[in-house]
Amino acid sequence: MKRQLPLALVFLFGVFMIFQYFVPHEKSEYVYEFLLDWIYIIGIFALALGIWSLFRVSVERIKLRKEGATYSYVALIGLYLMIAFGFTAATGDGGALSTSYYIWLLLGVVCLALVMRARAETASGRKKLLALGTLVFLVGFVLMSIFDDSWAYHFYTAEGLSNPMFRIFFDYVMMPILATMFALLAFFIASAAYRAFRARNLLATLLLLAALLVMCRFNPYLPGIDFIAKASNWLMNVPNLAAQRAIVMGVGLGMVATALKVILGIERGYMGK
Amino acid sequence: MKRSSVIILSVVVLLFLASWLWKASTLSSDPGIVNAWGQAFGITLAAFLTLAILSFLYRDNPFYKFAEHLFVGVSAAFWMVMGFWSTIVGNLVPRLSEGLSSFFKVPFDRFAVNYFYFIPVILGILLLLRLSRDAGWIARWPLAFIVGTTAGLNFIRYLRSDFIEQVSSTFVPLLVGWQGFGHFLDNLDLSATGQLALTVGNWVISLGVFCGLVYFFFSKAHTGVFGAASRVGIWVLMITFGASFGYTVMGRISLLVGRITFLFKDWLGLIS
Amino acid sequence: MKYLLSAVIVLGLLAGAVWAQESDQPSTAAADTAVSADTVSVAPPAPVGNLRAYDSDNDHGHAVTLEWELSPDDGGGDNSVLMYEVFRWYPYFWDTVQEVRAELVTARQRRVQGTLDVEGDPDDYVKELVSRHTELLSTLPEAHEQYPDDGEFRLVRAVPAGTEKFEDRGPKDRLAEDFLPDYCDFYYRVDAVTIDESVRTPSQIVGPVQSYGQWFNTGRIVVLCFVLVFGLLTILFVQRARSGAELYVRPIAGIEAVDDAIGRATEMGRPILYVLGLGTAADVATIASFTILSRVAKQVAEYQTQLIVPTYDPIVMSVAQEVVKSAYLDAGRPDDYSQDIVYFVTQSQFAYVAAVNGVMLRERPATNVYMGMFHAESLLLAETGAIAGSIQISGTDQMAQLPFFIVACDYTLIGEELYAASAYLGREPVLLGSLKAQDVAKAAVVLFALIGVIVTTAGSSVFQNLFKVTD
Repeated sequence: MKRQLPLALVFLFGVFMIFQYFVPHEKSEYVYEFLLDWIYIIGIFALALGIWSLFRVSVERIKLRKEGATYSYVALIGLYLMIAFGFTAATGDGGALSTSYYIWLLLGVVCLALVMRARAETASGRKKLLALGTLVFLVGFVLMSIFDDSWAYHFYTAEGLSNPMFRIFFDYVMMPILATMFALLAFFIASAAYRAFRARNLLATLLLLAALLVMCRFNPYLPGIDFIAKASNWLMNVPNLAAQRAIVMGVGLGMVATALKVILGIERGYMGK
Repeated sequence: MKRSSVIILSVVVLLFLASWLWKASTLSSDPGIVNAWGQAFGITLAAFLTLAILSFLYRDNPFYKFAEHLFVGVSAAFWMVMGFWSTIVGNLVPRLSEGLSSFFKVPFDRFAVNYFYFIPVILGILLLLRLSRDAGWIARWPLAFIVGTTAGLNFIRYLRSDFIEQVSSTFVPLLVGWQGFGHFLDNLDLSATGQLALTVGNWVISLGVFCGLVYFFFSKAHTGVFGAASRVGIWVLMITFGASFGYTVMGRISLLVGRITFLFKDWLGLIS
Repeated sequence: MKYLLSAVIVLGLLAGAVWAQESDQPSTAAADTAVSADTVSVAPPAPVGNLRAYDSDNDHGHAVTLEWELSPDDGGGDNSVLMYEVFRWYPYFWDTVQEVRAELVTARQRRVQGTLDVEGDPDDYVKELVSRHTELLSTLPEAHEQYPDDGEFRLVRAVPAGTEKFEDRGPKDRLAEDFLPDYCDFYYRVDAVTIDESVRTPSQIVGPVQSYGQWFNTGRIVVLCFVLVFGLLTILFVQRARSGAELYVRPIAGIEAVDDAIGRATEMGRPILYVLGLGTAADVATIASFTILSRVAKQVAEYQTQLIVPTYDPIVMSVAQEVVKSAYLDAGRPDDYSQDIVYFVTQSQFAYVAAVNGVMLRERPATNVYMGMFHAESLLLAETGAIAGSIQISGTDQMAQLPFFIVACDYTLIGEELYAASAYLGREPVLLGSLKAQDVAKAAVVLFALIGVIVTTAGSSVFQNLFKVTD
């Protein structure tokens, strides 16, 4: 039951998805679209598992006072703030957030930090003090949640994400970091090229020459740029195409074989023991 | 905390405040800007986080660690919140329950209700049982559904696109536009679309594909003629990888240009 | 007489063009000789020939295909055909259906908005409309059988001259305005139309033709053959392997390096970082990576080295925890397993990379193993690992990322080698059998390609047509 039923489910759904490819009838199409929808919905529940894992790892790191535990506070605070922004909104017209809202947020941050610190504390006296501090701030946090009318917990869509701070954090925290991480690629590609392109064997030499040829084609100041551009185009359209086709065919076969093994229950590693 | 760390942190905080003040005063003078202070804080924060990430190039440091952990926490919550609003509330709730739809204030059409959507909800809850020590095995059921469905999809998709269509694309003529030897000689030219170039190209493609496939043979030792073909195959692969590498460089550089532009234009205002 | 008439028409058109150019300078003389398009007398064109209508093949229904031979006056003859108009016979009953449909759609929208103002329960009202609409749709076939009585031909679509084929397709949503019902007798007519829309020649009427969904897509029969052949090959070789046949697998450099790398990490007392990539638990590359992780985790457990597995996807985390836990059990060290070995980071691509980079620089793993599906972050990971001084072994099926792994890592499994690695490491007969089946399929590809190339060079497209898949 613990293993047989899941394997049977894998077989059943796998075979159905293969079957529906050959059956264009709308009844088959309907079930197919239905099943794809299910995957998205289950994926959201899985996200809750992941958040719990992140939370637990951060809390453990703080509790055991591991190296870098200070930064786990930052991750937890970031998590708390974004969740708060996602489920609260201003009650007044215009959607502007009041000062009391930010004070409430700050109370929450302090509560969170204190409770984490209290868990990590070993000295009994200090632990009690931290616990008392947590309680005081928690009371303030709860009282503000109940009595402050300038904002409210917001579960209404389509205005569910009307909190401007959610957008601000996305624009000024997430996007800049994301874009900068991407930009690091420019430096890394140069350092990778420097380290790898030393032509220590034939394969590295071929890699180096092909890369140089393609990189140079964008430089209008090089002599013989016409020839370089033509050679580069030929390289991209002929040998590149050949190798890509060989890899894609091999990968395709491998994917097909693995998918078949999964459906037939030959490949069971993902199930654990 | 070490004294030097305190000093560095203080300097950074002071620089942040100075930048914020300066940016706010710059933006305030623009009548089109509504909330100059707020926007100035945002831009300054974005610039400092950008520099914190770039500092990684020097070495790992507290500023990078701060930015990294902040990003991890904020992004994890962001996707959870977005998933909740778009999928659970936007897609699932209106199909299931009028009460929940009323609570979330989403449009509810009772004629679009489909109780079969309770099944993924149940499967999702079973997945959460993964956290339980005793009942964790039950999480295999939703996993089996996802793995089986995706395996079936992948099986067909990749068989068609990555195998059958690739194989049929390999059927290229080794003598392009062949109408006899004399005709071939008459039309011999070195242009990119000429007979010779196309013929040579097709030969290279065919040999490249054959030798590439030979390289990926696992159940025979790569010796003799087989080994030679395999070596040719890996040479062709290396040329491809080099070409891909070179092709990607320009795109990566442009990403850096984007960030530099933000720092020097939007933040410091040195570029108009 | 015909040629004289054509000459008059051409002269008339020329005169019209001249008149149009001189229209800024009104003159009675120009007015007297002006000829507008409205008054050009055009002869009725020849009709389209051989009009055929049939149910569109290999679809879910609700579509009829029409084919015809071009009118001789399309691109030739008088060359007067401007377009073709496709007409279908609608029973007057269809209007009743459409009225109820429109009322139902509006009522449902208003019900959702809470603005439906009717006597009694609004839900009952909508329910009643739904059942009326369903009932009317069920009687549509009967209404179509009344042809040619109680109905008329109506325009479906106009298509430009030169078109020889048209598909009358409707959505499968019964509430859509252009819904095309299945199992109804349709009758079609195609008019050849000139520049003067009143001058047209209808074709003969063709019908009855019904649309319906097919239960098998014959255009995909090639794929079905491959599914069956490949499936049989896999089962055959797996059975052979199970019965004890020796199956050779050539050495793969990256895989052999994994064992050495684990030993190195143990000697140095530094951890091993294993990155499963950014795929989901259902992606093939991730599934292959689980098998390699199992092997690595077992060895790590035996040597009592530290293992770090940060994951991107929560379900992958869940599965990886199972895999690692089982590996520790197999190694006889269940107590050494900790739930923190495998942990979720975030489901944001670059946040994940930032965190893993941080782990690399702080924990200083001796070995980094990247196996799975990667995207643009592959270079960030590999370069950071190289800077940290780790031995790096990678494997991915993403073509675009292979160059970066090859450049930055010590060993790279290219594409299919990643899938072969799971068989190579485990040495399980069934996995080796499956690998053999893949190789046989590859040999078949080489053979097909060889034959196909020869046949295509000879000028035949037989092989290309054989492998053609149509939707």
